[in-house]
Order: sequence, then C-alpha cells, then structure tokens
Amino acid sequence: MITSVFTEELMIKELKASSKADVIKEMVEVLNANGKLSDKEAYLNAVVKREEEFSTGIGMGVAIPHGKSSGVKEPAVVFARSQAGVDYESMDGAPAHLFFMIAVPDAANDEHLKILSSLSRKLMHANVREALMAATTYDEVIEIIK
Amino acid sequence: MKFVAVTACPTGIAHTYMAAEALKIKAEELGYDLKVETRGSVGAEDELTPEDIAGADAVIVAADAQVPMDRFNGKKLIEVPVADAIKDPESLFKKASAAPVYGKSLQDSVDEIKSERSSERKGVYKHLMTGVSFMIPFVVAGGLLIAFSFIFGIEAFKEEGTLAAALMTIGGGSAFALMIPILSGYIAFSIADRPGLVPGMVGGMLAASANSGFLGGIIAGFLAGYVAKAIRDNVKLPKSMAGLMPVLVIPVFSTLIVGLVMIYVVGKPVGAINTSMNEFLKSMSGTNSIILGLLLGLMMAFDMGGPINKAAYAFGVSTLVAGATSPIMAAVMAAGMTPPLGIALATTLFSKKFTAQEHEAGKAAWAMGISFITEGAIPFAAADPLRVIPSIMVGSAVTGALSMLFNCGLAVPHGGIFVLFIPNAVSNLAMYIVSIAAGVGATAAMLFVTKKDIA
Repeated sequence: MITSVFTEELMIKELKASSKADVIKEMVEVLNANGKLSDKEAYLNAVVKREEEFSTGIGMGVAIPHGKSSGVKEPAVVFARSQAGVDYESMDGAPAHLFFMIAVPDAANDEHLKILSSLSRKLMHANVREALMAATTYDEVIEIIK
Repeated sequence: MKFVAVTACPTGIAHTYMAAEALKIKAEELGYDLKVETRGSVGAEDELTPEDIAGADAVIVAADAQVPMDRFNGKKLIEVPVADAIKDPESLFKKASAAPVYGKSLQDSVDEIKSERSSERKGVYKHLMTGVSFMIPFVVAGGLLIAFSFIFGIEAFKEEGTLAAALMTIGGGSAFALMIPILSGYIAFSIADRPGLVPGMVGGMLAASANSGFLGGIIAGFLAGYVAKAIRDNVKLPKSMAGLMPVLVIPVFSTLIVGLVMIYVVGKPVGAINTSMNEFLKSMSGTNSIILGLLLGLMMAFDMGGPINKAAYAFGVSTLVAGATSPIMAAVMAAGMTPPLGIALATTLFSKKFTAQEHEAGKAAWAMGISFITEGAIPFAAADPLRVIPSIMVGSAVTGALSMLFNCGLAVPHGGIFVLFIPNAVSNLAMYIVSIAAGVGATAAMLFVTKKDIA
C-alpha cells in the first residue's frame, strides 16, 4: 500500500522554495521532521549526487528527486506541488510543478521498492499528472496514486 | 511489430520504471507488441526469455547501468540512456527497427536476415526435425538390436530366457516403444518448450498404444505443443499461485486435453481403419494378384507400423499355411523391406539432400531394411512426410506388384534377408531379390526427384 510510505504529514500542498536546491532542502526537511531520517546530511548528499549524475526532472512538469542511503530509517515518499513552477533543469526545459521525493534505506525490502516502482510508473500517465495538479487534499492524492 | 526492451538506472528506484512505462504507453498507442524487462533495485522483473528475444523484431536497451547483452546477439538493437525512453519513446521504436544487428558485422546481419526468413517459413518443419532428431537414436538402437536377435534365428526370440529374447525385449519392447513418445514429446518441446514435454510424450504413448503409429504421434506432438503453449500463454494465475503453473496446471490440463483427444478423436478411427482394411483386402484376394501386390505395397509403406501397415501385415500372415509358401506374405515382407533400403540408397547416392544426422541414420537403415524392420524409414518420413511417404509408397508398390507378378512365395512371417538363405523358405528367390531391388531403386529415384538439396 502506498499509504505505508506516504502519509498525510509528508504532503506539501504548496512549496515555498523557488529554486531546485531549495526544493530539495525543503522536502528533505519534511522527511527529517517526520522521523524518516537518521542522518539528514547523508540522505541529502545522496539526492544531490543523483541529481548531479542526471537531473530527475523528467519533463512533463514532474521531478522525482530520490536517494538510497543508510541515512534513511524507513522508506518514505514526500509529495510536493508548486503552482508557480520551479526550474528543475528538466529534460524538456519546462518548469516542474509536481515533486515526488523518494527516500530508500540501504536495505529496503522488495515490497517497498515495488510500491515505489509502481508510483514511478503511474507518473508517466498524463491523466495521473493532471489529476495530481488538481487535487486539493491528501485523500484525493492517495486516490490517484494508490 | 514486436519489440523487447530493457530499462535500468543506477539507483533502480524511479527511472527504470518510468522508462518502462513510457515505452509501454507509446507501444500501445502505436499498436506495437512490447515486453519490457526492468532491472531496478528489486532485481530483474518481467525478465525476457530466449523466446521473447527470438520473437522480437528489434531490441531497445534504455539503461544507465550494466545490462547483460550477449543474449541480444544477432538482433537489431539500440542502446540509449534511460532518460531517452522517458523523453521521446516514439523515436526509439523507429530507431530500433532500423538499427544494425547487435554483435554482428553488416555482412553477417544480411546473411542472418536471409536465413531468418527461410527458417521462419520452416516453423512446422523445425518442430518436426526436433522431434525426429531425438527419435533417431531410439530407432537405430532398437532396430539394430532387433536385427541382432534375428542372427540367432528368425524365431529365436520366442524362446524365453535366451539372449535373442532379451535383445528383442530391449530393442522391440523398449527402444521401439519409446520411439513415438519421444517423437511426439520433442515436437511439443520444440513448440512450447518444457511444458510441451509431458503432454507430448503421453500423447505419443497413447498414439503408440492405440496403434495410430507415427502419424498419430506427429498429431499428438503438435497438439500437445500448441495446447501447452496456449495454457502457458493464456492462463493467468494470481502471482502468489504462479508457482503452480509449471508443476500442476500446465502438465495436468495439457495432458488431460491431449489424452482425451488422442483416445476419443484420433484413436477412434484407427480401429475402424484396421477392420475395414482387412475386409477390403479379403475382398481383393480373388482378383488380379498384381493389383493386390501393389495395394499391399502401398499399405506397408504408408504408415510404417501404423494401422494400415499392420492391417496389410496381418493379412499377409493370415495367408500362411504351415509348410507352404504364400505369395501374399512374400509381397508383404518385400514391400516392408523396401522403404528403409530405398532411403538408405538415396542417402548414399544423393548425399546433398540429407542432413549429417540423416546420413548416419541412413547407414542404420540398411541394416533395418534387410532385417524387414520398416520402422527404419520413420525418421525420414516424419521429418519430411509429404516427400518421403509418397516416395516409399511408390517403391513398395513396385516391389509388391513385381513379387506377385513373378509369383514369389514366402513360408515364414518375418526375417528379412536372413530367411533368404533358408532352404525352401522362399520360392523363386532370384526374382524375389529382383523385385526388392526394383522397389529400392524406385524409392531412391523418387527421393532424388522430390527432395531438394539442403542449402
């Protein structure tokens, strides 16, 4: 179940950040505040390193910063939105509006990994992205991605 | 168009799956058939089987991580970063279908495509050949061991406890008994891979025990192969029960279906054929003996151990009266010796028309032919029935008709060349040998005309 990795506290309805680096920091902060991280710096470094290899701004308004790190206590997903859009160095050059940050511990079980992989698959569908932009509550978001 | 793809990324959490999904969405839109193997942090999922790869027109590898590539040798393939599959999946399908063949030079790939085309045409032929190539050693081993038993005397095997009897049990009772199940089993194996083996072998066993001969065995093999494949491809169990498919669902149901069809549909007419053939032959016995010999020859060669052959043989045996020679028995045995001998002669004379394996089987066919073991011709007939069966029928018909024309006679029901040296077993011996030789020559000539050179 997606609810096992994505709880209401992990949703940011409107991001304050307006740059890529700040978006990542803001989302990592939410993970940390909810006790998902044992070593915030280690996880942040993993995410940033992943972004340096290749931006996770996959285009179509979606970005999925993610990292696998021993600094993660349990698998978690943060969902954030920016109506204004953020320049995320996306593949298509367009601003990103939907952000899914995925945190995976070094030793994650397959069940969680499968939840995350199916979430990734869902994001490729245009109707899912449109619905996520329009969603106003946590329950609506869950309904779309479950 | 059929594609296979592999997606992989360094973390294996997101991009692998997004790329896979993007390709799937686009393939559906464009009407392509696509299977995607994802190599993420869970490990490889939806792993491509050799059959998947063989059936694909082109391969797309969208990966920023190591992917095993050897399996794609000889396929059109493009390798791109995983991001490309997310960004522009459509162009990947176009590029892949025009891509050069992986692991091969351009000339190789041209040859490859040529031979691929010819092998596709030969799908059914390929399945038959697989079955036949597994069957040949059984025929050779069984046939030669039976021939060895005849060395002790034609009837020696009837004496229990003797070496001759043991040889007959090994060769006739066991190796020959496995011959048709092996043929059917591996025809089905060629079609459906491992799931085909069980229904194929059981179906072949039923073909053998119901006397529908090797033609029934071929039917059983194809039936089993396609039934097992259909179950494997169409029956979807929930993931938790998927492990039951190979050990329970496929073997039980495919065997059930094939078994019932073999007994109630294929097996039924066999008994009827046998009886009606017997009646027919009895009604013929008063008429022109040359036409009767010709008919017996056609029947002996048609299915080599199947119901029609057996009917002819039983009819021959029924004409035997102790101490006298029977022209009908003589025609039957001669016509049963001709098929393997004619084929053996053809493999010797026209070596280009036969595979290396068939050359070896041809040598054994000499020994089986002179021993009146008609089954020696089965591997050749099963591999190429439409050309070989008519050829051997013509040869046997010539032999049967000539044997009757020359009024040759035979006093014993079996024995092949070994009885020719027994005084009084054969009447008009010289012309009997001429009759056999003529049929052998006719079969070889027919094969020369009908069979094409192997490229």
